[in-house]
Amino acid sequence: MKMRRVLAVAHKEWREIVRDRLFFALAFVVSPALMLIFGYGLSLDVERVPFAIVDQDRSALSRDYAYAFIGSRYFDFKGYAASDRELEPLLEDNTIRAAIIIPPGFHKALRAGRAAQVQTVVDGTIPSRAQTTKGYVAAINGHFSTEMLAQHLSRVRGLSADEARARTQAVRLEVRYLYNQSAKSIWSLAPKLIMLVMIFVSPLLTAVGIVREKETGSIYNIYASTVSRGEFLLGKLAPYVAVAIGNVLVLWLIATLHYGAPFKGAALFFFLASVLFVICTTGIGLLVSLLVRNQLAAVVVTLVATMIPALDYSGFLMPVEAMGAEGSLEARLLPAMYYTNIVVGSFLKGVGLEVLWVDLLVLAGYTVALFVAGYLLFSKRPRA
Amino acid sequence: MISLHRNGVLGSAWWRRLGVMTTKEIRQLLRDPILLGFMAFVFTANIYLQGSSVSMQLNRAAMVVLDADHSAQSRELIHRFRPPYFRLDGEIGSAREAIGLLDRGQVMLALDIPPGFGEAIQRGETTAVQLQVDATHPMPAYLATSYAAQIVGQFSLAAALEREGLSIESLDELPTVVNDQRAWFNPNQKDTWFMPISELLEGITLFAILLPAAAMVKEKERGTVEQLLVSPLTPFQIMFPKVLAMTLVILLGASLSLFAILGPVFEVPMRGSLSLFYIVTTLYIFTNAGIGLYIATVARNLAQVGLLSMLVLGPILLLSGLWTPPEAMPVWMRWATLASPMRHFVDLGYGILLKGAGLDVLWDSVLAIALLGVLILALGMRRFRRQFS
Repeated sequence: MKMRRVLAVAHKEWREIVRDRLFFALAFVVSPALMLIFGYGLSLDVERVPFAIVDQDRSALSRDYAYAFIGSRYFDFKGYAASDRELEPLLEDNTIRAAIIIPPGFHKALRAGRAAQVQTVVDGTIPSRAQTTKGYVAAINGHFSTEMLAQHLSRVRGLSADEARARTQAVRLEVRYLYNQSAKSIWSLAPKLIMLVMIFVSPLLTAVGIVREKETGSIYNIYASTVSRGEFLLGKLAPYVAVAIGNVLVLWLIATLHYGAPFKGAALFFFLASVLFVICTTGIGLLVSLLVRNQLAAVVVTLVATMIPALDYSGFLMPVEAMGAEGSLEARLLPAMYYTNIVVGSFLKGVGLEVLWVDLLVLAGYTVALFVAGYLLFSKRPRA
Repeated sequence: MISLHRNGVLGSAWWRRLGVMTTKEIRQLLRDPILLGFMAFVFTANIYLQGSSVSMQLNRAAMVVLDADHSAQSRELIHRFRPPYFRLDGEIGSAREAIGLLDRGQVMLALDIPPGFGEAIQRGETTAVQLQVDATHPMPAYLATSYAAQIVGQFSLAAALEREGLSIESLDELPTVVNDQRAWFNPNQKDTWFMPISELLEGITLFAILLPAAAMVKEKERGTVEQLLVSPLTPFQIMFPKVLAMTLVILLGASLSLFAILGPVFEVPMRGSLSLFYIVTTLYIFTNAGIGLYIATVARNLAQVGLLSMLVLGPILLLSGLWTPPEAMPVWMRWATLASPMRHFVDLGYGILLKGAGLDVLWDSVLAIALLGVLILALGMRRFRRQFS
């Protein structure tokens, strides 16, 4: 292994990246652009759910009940509908996601001291959002019910309003969100976006870069030269790793400065772990490049092998623990989850090597395995 | 005049050339086994994997309890946290232990019941329990909070009624509101109905952009586009057969998912008209092919196509409303979604397959895709003409 030859290959590769101006720009523009776009548009917060009300009771009390929902920040009132039949096209068209139907007799039942029935219809298309919406409805309904009960007690037993209210509520739930105090989805997503972007940008550049040599035939120059396998791979991949490290720094700045995500961990630990992750994903690109013959296949295979699983099996949107056995297995087989743990630990939890050493170890093992496989598969005498 | 008649739109040669070129494109596609293999993967195995394992719901969230009271009431409350939403991972002795478990991600929730909890309830006071939630994943954190609030609310109501000498069974005799909730279109909120459709729509979008772009650039890179240009083919006759061939292959892939995975495996109801779904999908592929061709005029090689497609696909997926419905976006972004063909396609896909809606409700989405398609294809054609003539 001669350093001079490695540098020569690296230099040649770097020139090729820089000369292709669009490729160069894309290599540095794609990641921050995606980070900005996703950061603004990807929201997991369920707020402003558009809904309609069918009020068939038309009493002061039914209006009070409706206002409990209209006034909530979780709901966005779209208007009253005349009957339940009008709701179906509105739900089909996504104009509303929920509707509350107050049947006649609502007021009468409550005033007579009996339970009143109402119905809620929720658009079940997006299951998690439907569940959350149902939770909001139940909470607002529970609050209204307790208030009714308190008024009833105060009337029947002659208690003051405050005392009656205290009596109807035995236990309160206080919730404390850890690591992300306001449960803002952007604080959680911005750091994880670093993972999502980095998992495919560097393998994509790497795979395409190597396959291009195969496709144009310029790789025969390498086959015929004195450059050894190891020297070629090292020199070829180094520039892509450098580009990826530059990208990680830019993304880190966007996450912390632009989105204001807290970074509680150790910067040096995070940086070194990121370098390891970037080398690992470059190894994925190397392996892909050895398995496919044209650039289009390289693009498709890389995306299918990196970005698609990273979206769903890394803990990006949902914790790995919540997945079924298959999903959980797939998550453990891919590097994305381990880096996600490192990102979340470093940003939100402020933990370091003492907790994350397992993830780091797995990533290191992964990287070594990828490069050994790449080294063995790469041959200067390919079978035609 | 004569030449216009023979080679122009009216002549049979025009149609024959279109046919020959389409055959060429289909053959070229069929000779790429890796690409076909991955198309098959995306339309079948990938949809199966995602549909069967990705769940956005709260599934047995791990919870520990710090019970400083050990009364009948505290035990009663703890035992209400049950599967499928919660899983009790035992009791712990101190608050520090809870933080350690949460830090390492071993549990998601810690419930803290203060001393004197049971007595306070019996005295008729309002007492509080504290729930610490790991909010690194906002979605399950919201859901866990919501379910926990319902559990505590019901417990509280039962306890309050009991100390007033009433019982929870007599609730009908009290002025309360019973809210009966139903979910339409997906009554049990199954992720196995949501995810596979979402993956199918994503797959169609991915290939509808990538395939035409790649096919066009491949000709540019190899120089075969020069051959095509000196032939008597018009730019339209060069581009349209590519789009046609890709459309056929993608529709085939979509049919595979519909009839091999979505129907038999996940039992997605498919309430609406399938022919309507095929028609709007074809229209949608044409529109996306316009984006692909536009990319092809900008890029010089396939590597650039890959990166440009990513740059374009990111916003398209995001603005589609699959991950974040438009109503949850900032207002300016909600308007921007209207310019994304996929947003309308998502409305159509779920509208037809899950909600059973017809053209009477969905006509505006179809119109939007058609308009965007005409606009994008016209722009793509213009750039192509300028570049090559």
